[in-house]
Amino acid sequence: MSSLTILGDTSGSVVLQAPAVSGSTTLTLPAATGTVMVSGNIPAFSAYIGSVPTITTSTWTKVQFNTESFDTANCFDSTTNYRFTPNVAGYYQISSLVRVDSGSSWSACAVYKNGSFYRYGLNANATPNDTFVTLSTLMYLNGSTDYIEMYVYQSSGANRTLSTGISASEFSAFLARTA
Amino acid sequence: MLFEKITALYPTLTTQDFQPKTGTIVLQNDSDGKGDYIAKWEHPTLPRPTDEQLA
Repeated sequence: MSSLTILGDTSGSVVLQAPAVSGSTTLTLPAATGTVMVSGNIPAFSAYIGSVPTITTSTWTKVQFNTESFDTANCFDSTTNYRFTPNVAGYYQISSLVRVDSGSSWSACAVYKNGSFYRYGLNANATPNDTFVTLSTLMYLNGSTDYIEMYVYQSSGANRTLSTGISASEFSAFLARTA
Repeated sequence: MLFEKITALYPTLTTQDFQPKTGTIVLQNDSDGKGDYIAKWEHPTLPRPTDEQLA
């Protein structure tokens, strides 16, 4: 290494804090350009259904995950559009859980990216029991305009409700690695 | 509901025509107060219903 250059604002300071123990600590930087991600700038959220939604049969319906467990970067809209629009470009691990009350022969949940179907999880349950549907996927989001939403589907032939609460519903995502 | 209107118009349709993976019709509701709508209609023989037929 020929030099170490620190760029940035003309005010403030950058502090490299050594551990308060004896010995040597080595930080090895990869031979790549990128943004160092620390706990303060990694988007992650988890939300659940707080009030009972009704899902019409055979109709993909956006789920209103209106109660946040956490939202580290304020990227999840839990009041209007129920969508996650992360502010860091990268690959995101997406997970979802919904429970269709009273069941359905087919139940599914799907993640929509920018308003279009992306991927779904399916539970083809032939019994009238409550049906759990889960979804997990890894996807790229550009950190500015890309957003995701969760939709649910059931084909019971009648209206169905979704279970509420943190134990029976979840929509969550976190940054797995930057672009 | 839209599903009932469509199946009343076309009694030969079943829930399988709307199902993920196998279906050719996609109904959608964006939970924005605008209600159900036809997001995709790719049925091989039945034409997409008009707004007047679904009114």
